[in-house]
This record gives sequence, structure tokens and C-alpha cells, in this order.
Amino acid sequence: MNYKTEIADGTTTVEVTGRFTFGDHSSFRKLIEEVRGHDSSTLVLNIAGVDFIDSAGLGMLLLARDEGEKTNTTVVLRGAQGQVKRMLEVARFDTLFKLED
Amino acid sequence: MPVGNDQRPRHLIAVAQSVAQEDIADLIASGAIWKNPEEVSFRYAPGQTPEDFSSQRRFSVCMMPQQIGRDWLGALTRLNCDTFVECFPEMGLGDLAPLTGRKSLPKLDLLVCLSTRSAYHLPVARKFVTSLRHRGLIGDAIAPSVEMAVQEAFANSLVHGNLELDTGGHLSMDRFKELGDETERRLASSTHGTRAIILTARRRKNGQVLITINDQGTGFTPPDEKATLDITRKDSTFGRGLPLIRSICQSVTFQRGGRTIELTFDDEQGVLIAPEAAYIANIEHRLTASREAGLRIPQNAKILIADDTMLSREIIASYLRADGFSNLVFAKDGEDALAQVKAHNPDLIILDIIMPKLDGYSVCKALRADPTYAKTPIIAQTALEENEGRTRIFDDGATDLILKPLNKAELIARTKIHLENRLLVQQLQAYQERTQSELELARNMQENLNPAAEHYRGVGHDYGMRISATFQMSSELGGDMWGLVPIDAHRLGVYIVDFAGHGLGAALNTFRLHSLIWSEQLHDQMPGEYLEVLNRHLKGLLPVGQYATMLYGIVDRQKNVFSYASAACTAPLLGNSITGDARYLDGSGVPLGVIRDARYETREVPFNKDSFLLLYSDALIETTLDDGQFLSEERLLSMLQDTVLEGGADIDLAAQIADQFMDRAPAKLGDDFTIVSLQSAQIPAALSGQPDQET
Repeated sequence: MNYKTEIADGTTTVEVTGRFTFGDHSSFRKLIEEVRGHDSSTLVLNIAGVDFIDSAGLGMLLLARDEGEKTNTTVVLRGAQGQVKRMLEVARFDTLFKLED
Repeated sequence: MPVGNDQRPRHLIAVAQSVAQEDIADLIASGAIWKNPEEVSFRYAPGQTPEDFSSQRRFSVCMMPQQIGRDWLGALTRLNCDTFVECFPEMGLGDLAPLTGRKSLPKLDLLVCLSTRSAYHLPVARKFVTSLRHRGLIGDAIAPSVEMAVQEAFANSLVHGNLELDTGGHLSMDRFKELGDETERRLASSTHGTRAIILTARRRKNGQVLITINDQGTGFTPPDEKATLDITRKDSTFGRGLPLIRSICQSVTFQRGGRTIELTFDDEQGVLIAPEAAYIANIEHRLTASREAGLRIPQNAKILIADDTMLSREIIASYLRADGFSNLVFAKDGEDALAQVKAHNPDLIILDIIMPKLDGYSVCKALRADPTYAKTPIIAQTALEENEGRTRIFDDGATDLILKPLNKAELIARTKIHLENRLLVQQLQAYQERTQSELELARNMQENLNPAAEHYRGVGHDYGMRISATFQMSSELGGDMWGLVPIDAHRLGVYIVDFAGHGLGAALNTFRLHSLIWSEQLHDQMPGEYLEVLNRHLKGLLPVGQYATMLYGIVDRQKNVFSYASAACTAPLLGNSITGDARYLDGSGVPLGVIRDARYETREVPFNKDSFLLLYSDALIETTLDDGQFLSEERLLSMLQDTVLEGGADIDLAAQIADQFMDRAPAKLGDDFTIVSLQSAQIPAALSGQPDQET
């Protein structure tokens, strides 16, 4: 998993690419720590470039949401496609996150 | 090792060059691979990367280096081999040994054995599934589901099994950090990190595919089967996988005290492939059999008459003889019928239903269950007029039915029709087989137009470059070709060609152009001028409507430039091996063979010690991938950058991109796929000093 972050108008946008699976905990940790310093009111995770996610990856998204709740940051999942979209549907993530196309 | 008359089974082992011979010898001697290694004999074929092994050679085992990377994981799809073992000294397989040749177990179609340490950081599930697709074990359609299930099971076996991590309880960010750190510690430790994880796959005769994942942890008690697919549960990050697996697979079972998980998949497409292959093998067998019998005219056919009353047998025989059928065999009951079929392999069977020992229904069933006789015409004869018996005999596999008392004309007519059908099918099969073998020959010839790995690696080395290439032919013949043209001590020419269309015509054109390229000693010219000459020749040779795209370029190591000309070739990529940044070069130009006096511009770009070049055929960017889309320009750029940043300078760029492409492309490509990379490199002395060990 790779990512690039961008801040504009109180919104942090993180573009995540590659596979997002159990082995990616350290990159994900770095991501969360980096974003925490931004103090943004919205965190957009652009996952259009993620081509595979497993249940551990979903777990990490939930952690991001928990983190967001602590700092009053809304977490948005943007652009899920293919297998990722399917997994989000199966896990009913629409009830937990704001999903955008 | 005894010399001379060695009767032991011989095995060719593909070996990563970086693995020490002693380590392999120790591993084999330990009985981890074959239980009794002294009963087999070995030869080793070394390779720097999986690219170096010919697809035309069959390997029993592939020994991968310790701490394998993505390059060697790619061996799973590249090598003609079904057992892949990471060679790490601490490996202790225990009850999982030996990996191959266990007579008590059915033969596996794929086995991959890795250390936990390596497996943890690699996309193992993805590559495993790609390999299953390429081997025809599963269809493209179910691959995404299989991958999801394998990924979850694999993660479970690694994390809970081998690493013994407890991910239960509420997962906070702090706990997550702790877990992450503990994971790193355990991966580095000699107890957990060196445990093996083994993935296997095998296809059953009924088309189902069985995948097992085996770990060396302490075992795992599967939770309640009725657990629902509640991924939003907060008590664990990793424990959510099992319900997901259950929702995808046909069945999930645990063995070895929870240290082996077995997943069963039912693939509709797979079911179709299996009997087909059996059928072709069967046809081959029967073709040879019938050629001996000289089944040119129906009357030469061998007919088995199975009937328990001698009078009936004689009546049938006399009817058949009267019409010229003299090659007759007889059976007096059901068991005898099966014995006679096995002894004579008849072209047609006339079978009575009511017979002692074994009735006609059972004979039909038994014959149809054997692929050798699955298609032999069977005419059942019966006095039964009731519908039930008639339906049943067809259900059991009879080709046709004839009522007793027999009518001579009807018997002869039915016999002839079924023999003719059989003959036609056989002729058609024979024709297809011949065409197939000729196509196979043409494919091999075409593949040989491209440089072999040892050649381009050597040439690359001479010019201070790391060259990598992957070529995969489409399901039919194709029109791709590439090559290297050494000009002088510091200039190396490179070309890539794609003829329009595919099939025999395109293949013939590649042969034409190949001989043109190698007969014209003009490589010294500017690339633009060279393409102009080539175009004029080709225009004279090619029928109207046929054309080729081509790029010819020269890497000049002294002037540090790449000059090239393109005839509508895909835009070449020029990048930096340190930053991974790359840009598309101008690939525009008139295709070859369209107009006689086409002009080609020679373009020049810097190519220095940190540069790389990527050339590719349009299949890379015009194949529909698993997301239903082509690989976009931006996506290819980011894929390149990620690959360079992850792998550093010490990777085969073309091979890595090809591997990622194959993960997402259909198993059968509609067009030839060629990708070539030239990376400026300081070749390490260790590699350049390596003597040629190929045996």
C-alpha cells in the first residue's frame, strides 16, 4: 500500500494505492500519525487506486474512523471500485462512513 | 551417485543462483522434499531470476532464495513447475514433510512453501491465484472470490497460526500499535519468523478445486460455524475473515488440529475443461488404435456383439456379415462384455440389456465411466417396450436403442450411421490435431525470433545495462517481435515490432521482417533513415492492408543519448531509476508498409547512468483488466514508480511490470504481449564474475 497526502481548506485528502492488506499496518500507522498533525475537519481517503482489500484492511479503515471520532474529523471513503467496493458493501460500511463515488 | 545405468527417476531442479549449493543439498538430504532422496537423481539449472528459465523445460522443483522478493514470487506463473520452495536454512517441516511424491496423497497441481518472514510481506494470495488461472485450474470468473478466500485464510494462518498473535479484544489505536510492533518482533525472531507456510492446490476429477493452507502454529479452534458475517464487530481486526471465507467457498474444513485449512471451490468453467482434456487424450488413444485397424470404411470396423443367447449372437452376426462386416467379437454376459471391450477396443458395441452376471445397464455405466470408452457407440437391444427401461438405458449411456426381434435392415442402418459418425468425429479430431501441432511448431519458431534470456542478459552486461523482457503469445499466433542489435562497443540497437492482427498471416509477416532486419546491414544509420529503408522493402513485400508498428532506437553509452524513430509504436517510457519518475516519449510516425516514401524523424533524448527505458506492445495498455478497464497512462506511470521505489535499482523492471499485469489480465490474452526494459546499471562484480553453470 502506498499513499500521498494533500491538504486544502481544512480537508486532508489521502490517495491510497495498491493492495491494502494485513501486512500494511506500518504504512497505515504512518498515515494516521501524519494526518493527525493536520488538524483537518475532514479526512478523505481516496481509495480509487486500491485494487484489493482484505478484512484486516477493513479493520484499519475502522480504526481511522475511531481516530476521526476522537478529533471530530469526518472520515470519507471515496471512489471504491471492484473488489474493494464489494467488500465495503458486504461489510455495510455505508452505515459507518460517508461513501463517495 | 552411481554412474551409467541410473534407473532412478530423474528430476530437473530450477535453482536461484544466489542459493548456496550446500543449502540445497542439505535441504534435499533432510527428506523435506522427497522422503527418500537417494531414490531419485537430480540435475540443477541455475538462474539469476525466474526470467532465465525456458518455458519449454519442465522442472520438478523450483528452489527460491531465502527472503524471496516479488521477482521470485513471479516464478509461480513463469515456470513450468508445480513445487516451489523457499530455501531457508532454519526450515523444519515436521509433519508437513515430504513436500512431494507422497504416494498416500493425490498429486498436487501446485505447492508453494515459504517462510513466514518472506510470506508476510508478499502478495502471496494474489500470485497463487494468478498461477491457478494460468494453469487452467480455475477460470478467470471465480478468481476474485478465490483470491479473497485465500487471502483471509492465508492471513489467519500467518498471523494467528505461525506468529501466534492474539488480535482479540477491543482494538484501539494503542493496541494496534502494540500489535504492529509485536508482529515485527515475531517476524524477526527465530521461533516464529522461520516457521513455514504451505499453500497447495489440486483439482479433483469432478472439477472442484481444493486449496489448503498449512501452518506450524499451535493450532486453532474454529469459532462457531453460525457466526455471521459481521465485519463491523469491534473485538478484533483479523478475526473477521472466517465468516467471509465461509460465504465464498463451497466448503471449509480444518485439519491437523486447526493448522490446516482446506477450502473447496466449485468452478463451472473448470468442470468444462476437465472432461474436455480427458476426451482429447482419449481420442488420441483411439486414433492410434483405429489407425491400426484401418477404419477407413465402415465394414472394417470391429464390432462387439454382447448377448447371452448363442442364437441371438449368431443372428446378429449373420446380418452383419451379409453386409460385409466381418471383424466381429463376441461376449456371452456382462462381465465378458467388459473384458472383450478392454481386450479389443471395438468401434461399436451391440449390447443386450438382460444378461447374467452384469446387465446391460451396468455395462453401459462402467464403459462410460472409463474415458477411453466414453464415446464408443453402444446400440442397446431389448425386448422391453416399456418406457422406463428405454429411458434408463439412455441415462446409463447407450447411444441408440434397437428393439427385439431385430429387423435386419434397421440393424444395418443404425450400425452404419453410428460408425460413420464415429469416423467423422475421428477425422475431424485428427485434422484439428494436425493443425494444432503445426501451429505449435509455428509458435515455437516465432518465440525463437526473440532473444533468449541468457543472450539479452549477456548483451546488456556488455553495455552496462540490465535488460529484462517478457513475451507472452496470444492464444493464437501473433505478430510481436523484439530484438537487440549490437553496433559497436558503445552503441546498442533495440527494436520492437507489432504486426497488425494476429494469426498465421501476422506470424508470417514477423518472419519476413525478421529476415529483412537481419539481412540489411544498415543498423549504423540514423534510426529514422533505417526505418525508411525498412519501410520501402516491406511495402514491396506486404499485401495492401497489412502493416506493422515498430520502434528502432540506439542507446549510445558514450554520448549518453537514446536516439530512436517510431512507426506508430506505443509511446516508449523513459524514466529515472532512483526517483521512479518516468515520461512518455513521442511514438508517432506512419506505420511500416502503408506508404512507399514514408519519412521518419530521428528523435533524441538523454540516457545516462540513472535512466531506464521501457518498450511494450499495445497489449499492455489495451487489455481489459479485472476492473473492466485498460491500464491507463497515469496508472502505468504510478505502477512504474511504485515498482522502482519498492525494488530499487536491483530489479528486472519489465518482468515486474509483466507480473503485475498478469495478475490482473485474463489468463488467455487476445493479443501478443511484449515488454522490454533497458536499465542503466552498475552490474555488481558478483554477477558478472559468475561462471555459466547451466547443465
